[in-house]
Amino acid sequence: MTTATLNPPNTKIPPSTHEFAEVIHRLEAGGSMLPDTPENLMQIIGIYKAYAVPMDFYWRDLLYIAERVFLNPLPAFKYFLPQEYLDLHNHYAGDTADLRIWRGEATAHPELLEFMAKGEMKQNLPKIFHHLWHDRINMEFAEECMRAMLWHRGMGGQFDPYLDTDEYKANADRAIRAYFKGNPIMLGLYKAFPDMFYEQVRQLSYYANLGLFWEIMAPVFFEMSDIYDEGGFKGVPDAMNFLVNGIFAIAGRPIYHHVYIDGECYEIIPKSKGFTWLYEAALPYVEAVFYRTSPFRGTKSYNAQANQVPSDQKDFHYGILYADVFPVGSAGIPPTLLMQDMLHFLPPYLLDYYKQYCRGDDDMLIQLGITFQRSMYNVTSAVIQALRTALLYPLDDQDPDHLMANRQFFEAQMDRFKRPEARLRNIQSQDYR
Amino acid sequence: MLSTLIWLPILGALTIPLIPLRFLKLAALTISGLGLAWSLWIAINFNLAEPLLQFPEFLPWLDVLGLNYQLGVDGLSLPLLVLNSFLTWIAIYSSKEQIERPRLFYSLILLVAGGVAGAFLAQNLLLFFLFYEVELVPFYLLISIWGGEKRNYAAIKFLLYTAVSGALILAAFLSLVWVQGAESFAYEAVMGNALPAWLQIVLLGLILVGFGIKIPLVPLHTWLPDTYVAASTPIAILLGGVLAKLGAYGIFRFGLGLFPDAWATLAPGLATWAAVSVLYGATVAIAQKDIKRMVAYSSIGHMGYILLGGAALTDLSLVGAVSQMVAHGLILAILFHLVGVIETKVGTRELDVLNGLMNPIRGLPFVSALLILGGMASAGIPGLVGFISEFLVFQGSYAIFPAQTLLCVVGTGLTAVYFVILLNRTCFGKLDNAIAYFPKVEWNERVPALILVLVIFYFGIQPSGLVRWPESTTAAMIAAAPNLPSAIIAQPPTPTLAADVPDLIAQ
Repeated sequence: MTTATLNPPNTKIPPSTHEFAEVIHRLEAGGSMLPDTPENLMQIIGIYKAYAVPMDFYWRDLLYIAERVFLNPLPAFKYFLPQEYLDLHNHYAGDTADLRIWRGEATAHPELLEFMAKGEMKQNLPKIFHHLWHDRINMEFAEECMRAMLWHRGMGGQFDPYLDTDEYKANADRAIRAYFKGNPIMLGLYKAFPDMFYEQVRQLSYYANLGLFWEIMAPVFFEMSDIYDEGGFKGVPDAMNFLVNGIFAIAGRPIYHHVYIDGECYEIIPKSKGFTWLYEAALPYVEAVFYRTSPFRGTKSYNAQANQVPSDQKDFHYGILYADVFPVGSAGIPPTLLMQDMLHFLPPYLLDYYKQYCRGDDDMLIQLGITFQRSMYNVTSAVIQALRTALLYPLDDQDPDHLMANRQFFEAQMDRFKRPEARLRNIQSQDYR
Repeated sequence: MLSTLIWLPILGALTIPLIPLRFLKLAALTISGLGLAWSLWIAINFNLAEPLLQFPEFLPWLDVLGLNYQLGVDGLSLPLLVLNSFLTWIAIYSSKEQIERPRLFYSLILLVAGGVAGAFLAQNLLLFFLFYEVELVPFYLLISIWGGEKRNYAAIKFLLYTAVSGALILAAFLSLVWVQGAESFAYEAVMGNALPAWLQIVLLGLILVGFGIKIPLVPLHTWLPDTYVAASTPIAILLGGVLAKLGAYGIFRFGLGLFPDAWATLAPGLATWAAVSVLYGATVAIAQKDIKRMVAYSSIGHMGYILLGGAALTDLSLVGAVSQMVAHGLILAILFHLVGVIETKVGTRELDVLNGLMNPIRGLPFVSALLILGGMASAGIPGLVGFISEFLVFQGSYAIFPAQTLLCVVGTGLTAVYFVILLNRTCFGKLDNAIAYFPKVEWNERVPALILVLVIFYFGIQPSGLVRWPESTTAAMIAAAPNLPSAIIAQPPTPTLAADVPDLIAQ
């Protein structure tokens, strides 16, 4: 751990007396919650890479489900991406990009394509066999994240309130009728229980929302990995600042939900509503997935009398920033799905790194899970810094009142990590692995 | 033929110091493996219908003392003989690669194996006593050199108790021979039937106390928890798996075998004693905070079933008692092995510290799973060998001593209680992230437990593989005791399959 940040960055305001004063001083100095060490940098960039490849699948499949599978009552093949969605151009990569974040291909990542073709078995089998042998990307994890966003709702922004308006229902109504055209059973059901279908469409809108969110994060992470390989990043704050800049560059990208039925596009949430990426996708995502999610079935009892699960959703603290990664691989621990996905795409330097520690090959799933936790602390730091930039004052502001306002903002953010479950304290040390 | 089982390990023990260090374990494994193969071969050639001694060997030795080299095997000793060879192999296999003073270690283990085999085979009281005493010093050294904490205290305690046990047994043997004026110490020569009843009871009492220390039975057990806990894993396996059986074997062979009348007189008391042992072992195990101590007390409880089966003296209960000796040896071996692995990996045996070992990646999932199996076998869950032997004992004893049998059934329930406590605290729950960086369990550390669990399963599902060996011998032992507790209750003759066959054909 670097000791330079132990002292407050300036002497205009007194040092913080917060429990996490050290972390707060580092944030005030433009740093990350994650200590700035070469080892940490190597770990988080490596895991961004390993995360981005399955994420490249997640966003494509989420959009495919939102746009094409739609209300299919038996979506047995919803994880079987058609070629057109693999060829779909990412809006932020390749030559056709709106804003080129990653310099690589706009179509699906080559490592992903290779994994989809051969899988862990390293054999070219029909997709259905890979699927049945569970040799595949765990798309359920992406859906679980989507459901967390859907279920937590009301975390700021205009997107969620819009889902309850008559305008939304009218848009959904047109799409539902078009989708079930010539299917009297489903149309009859729709007539009898319209809300059941609206709720399904809301969920599909969140599929689109999350898909559009990850369409950006995947090229960002790919580019960070490339920059690191080229020797671009000097430390963890650099990596964080790349994220902060990325967040601002992309903040205004539209969030929408289009459905394609019989070659016709139904705009359930049109782009013209002006929903933007930062406020309607990124911030709700961080809140829902990094902080809240839902209690792991294998860790907490849902017994109402045991009072283990809070009654207020805002008190939920089961996101990756709080998660206990050690039981990964056990029953009832959802992040296992993601860890298993990332395991297939680890860069060689991380593989070598993990082999040196703990049980080497045997507990890589947990080691990479802890690395992932570190990296998500860095992403959250970027979000906190971006929010501070958007709402408050620059870090080099000369006005002590402004600095104090920044301080209070940081302290309020760190208050959320005072819970004993929060792993902020653990990630400060390299012994946590 | 039988001599091989004694002298192969003993000669091995003498030659093993000459073998280069890196082949030492391999050599010890080979020698004990040959012993195991030889004892299996004897088992294959064993005539199941013959209740008396088989493969007899006789060499005159010291006629003046009445001590002759006289061996033989019957249905009572054969299963234990095989168990001894098997557990010796397991114990050597499960010893650490990097053990201190390996030459002495493996020599002593092989010496013990030869000695125990000798004791099971000896058909001369003095010869038995010689082999019995041969165990004393090697075990003392094995505990005090390679043991854990408090090993010196434990080793001395073991030494003193076992020496007293030996002295009592010797006193009983000598008096038996002298009062009868027998020519030699040969087993058949000294049947105590002719003696006055009071003398039989006194001598039987001496034998009961002498072997009761070794088994151990309740007030005589206090050396056991300390010794088992202080001993290293392979030694604990041998102590609990084999040496305790030597005590039980001694009681059956020399208590019941030589004094059937006195045995029948004392039987109700013995059954009560057994029930007390079972309940005491179980309740004290519940109170323990150290998993090895729990297993040690479970051993005390389980030896009680053997005494109950012996006291009831029915065909079924006696077969049950012999199977229980084997079952307990297997189960105790797997439990001690697994507890040893857990201690090596986690670095503690405290029930309050251990947690979440079932965690599939950071924990010890395989070891935990086997521990659960071992615990279930110990608690008498059907499908595993513990159930077979306990059920035989209960079924055989209930008609004779219903109250004591029911108390022992309660003891099985309590066994389940403390094993569930043990498994709940060790295997279930959540790993403590601050300490959960355990080294991984290598395959060769799993192999002994895996083999044991297969045997436990096999005998649990196919029990005839276990119970057929002692059947004819135990039947003969019961026939030799006319004044049986089972004779008190008029029993209809048990229809046997063979007897029914002609009728069936006639129909």
